[in-house]
Amino acid sequence: MSQPSDDVLRDIHRRMVRIRVFETEAGRMAEAGKIPGALHLYVGEEAVAAGVMVHLSDDDWITSTHRGHGHLIAKGGAFDRMFAELFGRATGYCRGKGGSMHISNMDLGMLGANGIVGAGPPIAVGAAFSTKFRKTDRVAVSFFGDGASNEGSFHEAANMAALYKLPVIFVCENNGYGEYTPQANHQAIVDVADRAAGYGMPGVVVDGMDAMAVYESAEAAIDRARSGEGPTLLECKTYRFFDHVGVRGMGLSYRTDEELEEWQKRDPIHLFEARLAELGVLSRDEAAGIHEGILEEVKAGIEFAESSPLPDPNTLLDDVYA
Amino acid sequence: MQAPAVGLVANPASGKDIRRVTARASVFDNQEKTAMVRRCLIGVRAMSDVPIRYLPDASRLVEAALDELGFDAEPLDIVPTRGAVDTTRAACALRGATVVITLGGDGTNRAFAKGWLDAPLIPLSTGTNNAFPMMREATTAGAAAGVLASGDVPIEAVAGRSKVIHVEIQDQPRDIALIDAVLTKERFVGARSLEDPARFVAAMLTRADPAGVGMTSVGGFVHPLSAREDAVLKLEFEPGSSRVVHAALAPGRFERIGLAQIAAIPLGESMCLTGPGVLALDGERERVLRKGQHALLTAHRDGPWVIDVSKVLRHASGCGRRA
Repeated sequence: MSQPSDDVLRDIHRRMVRIRVFETEAGRMAEAGKIPGALHLYVGEEAVAAGVMVHLSDDDWITSTHRGHGHLIAKGGAFDRMFAELFGRATGYCRGKGGSMHISNMDLGMLGANGIVGAGPPIAVGAAFSTKFRKTDRVAVSFFGDGASNEGSFHEAANMAALYKLPVIFVCENNGYGEYTPQANHQAIVDVADRAAGYGMPGVVVDGMDAMAVYESAEAAIDRARSGEGPTLLECKTYRFFDHVGVRGMGLSYRTDEELEEWQKRDPIHLFEARLAELGVLSRDEAAGIHEGILEEVKAGIEFAESSPLPDPNTLLDDVYA
Repeated sequence: MQAPAVGLVANPASGKDIRRVTARASVFDNQEKTAMVRRCLIGVRAMSDVPIRYLPDASRLVEAALDELGFDAEPLDIVPTRGAVDTTRAACALRGATVVITLGGDGTNRAFAKGWLDAPLIPLSTGTNNAFPMMREATTAGAAAGVLASGDVPIEAVAGRSKVIHVEIQDQPRDIALIDAVLTKERFVGARSLEDPARFVAAMLTRADPAGVGMTSVGGFVHPLSAREDAVLKLEFEPGSSRVVHAALAPGRFERIGLAQIAAIPLGESMCLTGPGVLALDGERERVLRKGQHALLTAHRDGPWVIDVSKVLRHASGCGRRA
């Protein structure tokens, strides 16, 4: 495994902070009623997207979930076009017709967030098949949750990926809940990685709150995929700090405040910033400056979105493929 | 002294780290661990009706086995966190038990020894680079625990005391290792495994076995040292060295590793390591050393009593008894 340079470490940090600030402000906008539809926010899970995406180029593919903003941001998504999409404006990534749960951008290799739980893995397998067929070294990374790992689409995708040794990395973001259902109530296992052996691929459990644990594990899995050895299932144990939908959500009592507080003690950004400061890679002041700078970018993105036009009703059927 | 009891600690996290990808380590899924727990429980109950006390781990490994068997056992009063601290807390709570069966790897047993240093253990392997626990059938391991708890066999007659590396870290809490402590030039704990020999700086090993996997293999190919010998092996690494050892650093993975110095030193003699770096304990990156921060390593034979299952059962069958 490579020893990441200071620049790479700062890059991972920046990607995490970009997600945190974007999602926090998006949550604020949603709670103020300014964003239509449901937002599923990624706050708390930033280390997973950043630790994986730092290894990918725009040529590599990803598929995402209903909680997909973090994936696109970590892949290089621009705040202005993302907010415009969330606000349903014509300047958004999908011209305002996709919204939060269907945001995509082919230039960045983002094959789409997806409102259907478990819909992403087969798409990633298709993309990986294309890279193998065309003999390129692109890889496809599919993000999905613990709930999605029960869907037939995941099992079929995992089986095919292993059978054809496709360059896929299945990244399970296990945040302990399928929507409002605790994991223990929707599957008899605790480690989704245990399922990998059943398909004939390695499965690894990763501390999803530790950016470097994700970075190292993702590097190993991506190297394996690029060298033609086939897929890997990485299960990142993580936690969402906000509710399933929005920030405070519906106020349901499916998890406790104490549990949330325990996980917040291992806030991935705080942990990483503490170590970067110890190493002299990024001082506390520099980190604070990055948060502030990104907040300004986010505000500019919101302004761009709010001042953008809604899609022309005459374009309703444009860009519709099926 | 507590009333006779058998303790049971199964680590749901062992055998699942990045070495499934970077090496060829086996996946040790939790269904298999539960199956082993089941066999342990059957073994214990075949020999004894002593109370069984267990860690209620986050994956319900023991509870799943108990549910199926219908056996009574007492959960320790611990709310699991999914971390190694669960095992350490279980060790504290189990102090005084006649014998404890652990299912895990070197790291699991290290975490247990942090809570109860001189515990009587039957360590069963479900980890990756395992030097401390044994690959052994759980049924008869459980039976041996049951025999011991019934009081028919004195533990001293069937167990050996382990060496422990005591790690004193400047300005930080102490730590221990049962098998090895390695200073690396890594900057993060990260995915924990030791991957790049070029970043190894120095190590202390309580045993060096060429038939083992991990750092024990590295030492074992140049200076074998058994768990019984009252010494530890001190290694200093040098990537460009002409002295190279070809050793099994992980399951299915050999590496050529440059060595500068190799020396056996007696127990009680210390070795000082200085940061920056990350200290790996029993094969996993654990503790960060800042620049100039010292860690003093000193080994003593004051660790867990590791029970020889065969000896216990031979005693029980009468073959091991003296006339």
